[in-house]
Amino acid sequence: METKKDAQEGSLILLKQGAEARVFESSFVGRKSIVKERFSKKYRHPTLDSKITVKRLNAEARCMTKARRLGVSTPALYFVDSVLYTLTIEYVEGPSVKDVLLEFGLHGVVEEKMDDITRQIGNAIGKLHDGGLIHGDLTTSNMLIQNGTNKLVLIDFGLSFTSTLPEDKAVDLYVLERALLSMHSSCGNVMDKILAAYRKSSKQWSSTLNKLAQGTIYATCDKEVESAPWLGDCYTSLAHHPLHLAAGKVTSTHDIRSPVIAWVRLILNFVYVIL
Amino acid sequence: MKVLDVNGSSLSLALFTDVTNSRELLKSMQAGTLEPEVAFLNALLIPDAFPVLAAAHKTLVSKSRESLTTRTLHSELVYNYSGSKHITESLKRCGISENSTYVLVARFNASPDEMKAIEKLVGGKEIDLEELEARADKAQIQKHYKISGLELGISSLPDAITCRIAARDAL
Repeated sequence: METKKDAQEGSLILLKQGAEARVFESSFVGRKSIVKERFSKKYRHPTLDSKITVKRLNAEARCMTKARRLGVSTPALYFVDSVLYTLTIEYVEGPSVKDVLLEFGLHGVVEEKMDDITRQIGNAIGKLHDGGLIHGDLTTSNMLIQNGTNKLVLIDFGLSFTSTLPEDKAVDLYVLERALLSMHSSCGNVMDKILAAYRKSSKQWSSTLNKLAQGTIYATCDKEVESAPWLGDCYTSLAHHPLHLAAGKVTSTHDIRSPVIAWVRLILNFVYVIL
Repeated sequence: MKVLDVNGSSLSLALFTDVTNSRELLKSMQAGTLEPEVAFLNALLIPDAFPVLAAAHKTLVSKSRESLTTRTLHSELVYNYSGSKHITESLKRCGISENSTYVLVARFNASPDEMKAIEKLVGGKEIDLEELEARADKAQIQKHYKISGLELGISSLPDAITCRIAARDAL
């Protein structure tokens, strides 16, 4: 098997190894390429294992090409091998957005470049979501800035799926928000800029951002109630709400969620209508 | 005439314009009497050699696994280039038809003698592969492969075709 593959793909140079796949650099009929190999998991039953692997391989290929059809730049797909479980794709030269933002964190933000990147990110996600495609793993290391053109290229559609639910889209954005917070908090509020671009590009931004806001409040509620369930004089704006003050005495988070959420949703809806 | 390397094998490509004997070529190909066996591709649908190479790569891989879908190696190349699963339709649209005048001829592992025979076989004027881009029928390509203007904003035409060739079996 190994020798056969070597002969086929030319030399393979290991670039990265993840939990589900290995990524190699190689060449494909004269062009530099990336080979992503999904390896088998020995703890799974062989039949099930190959079924799952092929299914995910095909899903990834489908989602990548779908993204292209929606006008979002992804590496071109060169070859899908459902026997060796490999995807061969275009090699995109350029740093990841993660590298660019970390550089900003170290040496100061270049506003012009930052605006361009965040606009492209928001735009790309908006297009994906309006087309019913959820990326599933929106982190800054899965976004590349192509050398020369400075175009944003999304990679790694291994967790992608199709859905039109606002909830799924909001989770997609939430993953990105968490990733930005944990990696790039020194760059200022990158997420707001991305969301501004997202609003412009997506026609269904309203329901998605409503869901996103809900999710964020869930998180804050949980934190507060866990740390101080008896808390009377809270400091967040949310906590000044009479309903929340009353609910603060309740220990179970689940009991207080629904009325608070209902109110906040109402308020947010008003805000959005005004905007 | 150009010889390109596709994972260990070679693929010889020759582009002909003003072909006059496509009717005979089609007949002898369908009868299986074509000597040497070659693939005739409708060059109007080919804006670059790269997608042909991608299709050739796919063909060679299925050949090595003895899992060809069509009857011969060279018809498989035409079928793979089409990016569709419909064999008859693929061979009709991406292959040669009775009144084609612009044809790309391809053969795997051709010897110099065989290539000379091919040049004799096709009654037309051989031109450089560089001409592919200018002579391709962009509208027909977009229609056949269902490539929207939106996609062409972020991708070249050859790359869009390559994606469809590669993703066909995943769909």
